Amino acid sequence: MKATDNSKITRAPSLPMVWVVPLLALAIGSWMILREYLNYGPEITIEFANAAGVAAGKTVLEYKGVTVGEVQNVELAKDLKVVEVRVRLNKNAAALAREGTQFWIVHPEIGLSGVSGLETLVTGAYLAIQPGLGPPASEFKGLEQAPPPLNKSLGRAFLLQSNKLGSITTGAPVEFREMKVGEVEASQLSDDSTQVLIRVRVYTPYVDLVRTNTQFWNAGGLSLKLGLLGAQINSPSIESLFEGGIAFATPDGDLAPPAMNDAQFILNNEAPRDASKWQPKIPVHTPESAPLSPVRSGQIPFVH
Amino acid sequence: MRINQSASRKENLSRASALALAAAIMLVPANLLPVLYTQNAGKIRTDTIFSGIVGLCQEGWWVLGVIVFIASILIPLLKLLGLAWLIIVAQRGPDGLARPLTRLYVVLSIIGRWSMLDVFLVTFLSGVVQFGILAKAEPRIGIVAFAAAVVLTVMATEAFDPRVLWGHPTGAKSPSSVT
Repeated sequence: MKATDNSKITRAPSLPMVWVVPLLALAIGSWMILREYLNYGPEITIEFANAAGVAAGKTVLEYKGVTVGEVQNVELAKDLKVVEVRVRLNKNAAALAREGTQFWIVHPEIGLSGVSGLETLVTGAYLAIQPGLGPPASEFKGLEQAPPPLNKSLGRAFLLQSNKLGSITTGAPVEFREMKVGEVEASQLSDDSTQVLIRVRVYTPYVDLVRTNTQFWNAGGLSLKLGLLGAQINSPSIESLFEGGIAFATPDGDLAPPAMNDAQFILNNEAPRDASKWQPKIPVHTPESAPLSPVRSGQIPFVH
Repeated sequence: MRINQSASRKENLSRASALALAAAIMLVPANLLPVLYTQNAGKIRTDTIFSGIVGLCQEGWWVLGVIVFIASILIPLLKLLGLAWLIIVAQRGPDGLARPLTRLYVVLSIIGRWSMLDVFLVTFLSGVVQFGILAKAEPRIGIVAFAAAVVLTVMATEAFDPRVLWGHPTGAKSPSSVT
């Protein structure tokens, strides 16, 4: 009895101890591989009319400045009309792929209203995403250009009829008292080609400024008046001088109800004669974060 | 006395084979997972060891590609296979191959240290190439597995006592008298 006990004591501890090492290696190794593959989310396909600057394995998908996916493959669709871009999403970003999610390619852009995507000059183009709210989806149509920021697209759209486009371009400002409260979204000929239709969007806090009797006019460019008593040059903001612009005002008197979404207006070629004197009182809800928002009671802004 | 000898011989072999098995396991993530992330003027790459070699050859760096292939894929693999052979032969007991196998063991223990080339390459690049948005190199998890595999192989080679090839009862005599 004693002899067998002894042999067990000398042998037993030495053998299994070493075999912890391969077990540990197996655990760590499989954890490494699992971690890598668990990070893989779903694969989605986005159709673009043009995928210039997008390359497999290089272009990434960014959301709020964070990389959430990588382009796996770029190829021409079978009908040769669109480009299909396959993107592998990260696991934690899988919820971004929903119906209504919008994708677009960010290139550097330099315009009068700002410079954007400047970093892509060096890093190359990337895909941007604006998540939708629908059920999960895996096939999308990419946008030609970036959609308007979400808080702006919530405003109200109006249709303006004009007999000519003038110098109005997409993105041109819509101004109220020479303050930008919206922008031009699109312009096209009417069906019978007798008019130009311009769709403008007024941002959320200012939508109530547009009443059913509001007057719109083309505020772009310069207006020159030469007379016996001298010359007068009228120009709105610099931005609308180059990009064209639209201004509006509401006549005094009884306040008409706010205009509905997609309401139609006539776009005048110049401001109504006494438009600058119109001063109907219309409450607007400026966002609380605005720098000049009214001080709430109890707060003392200045120490006298 | 007899029991003790075979026990220590077994212990020696089982330590070597355990470490060799651990090294073999670590070689799997080392070769599957990316080892290096590089970003160079907008070109982003995440390379595994093999894709790095293919990339080097495609860019025309044939010699470098072959060196990395030999140091990072061929040598670790051959080393483990050689070690496995030694362990299997030793397990069966001494035979006529003792002399050439001992020579193989010496070769294995010499070339072991050279397979760290990849680890050095990655750490060197990550340390030197840090130019923010223009060029950047970062290590990836695979290089840790690779380093672990190399270290475990070296440890397994060290743990293997070539005297067992000669049927020598290791541990029975003081080691200094043999080496």
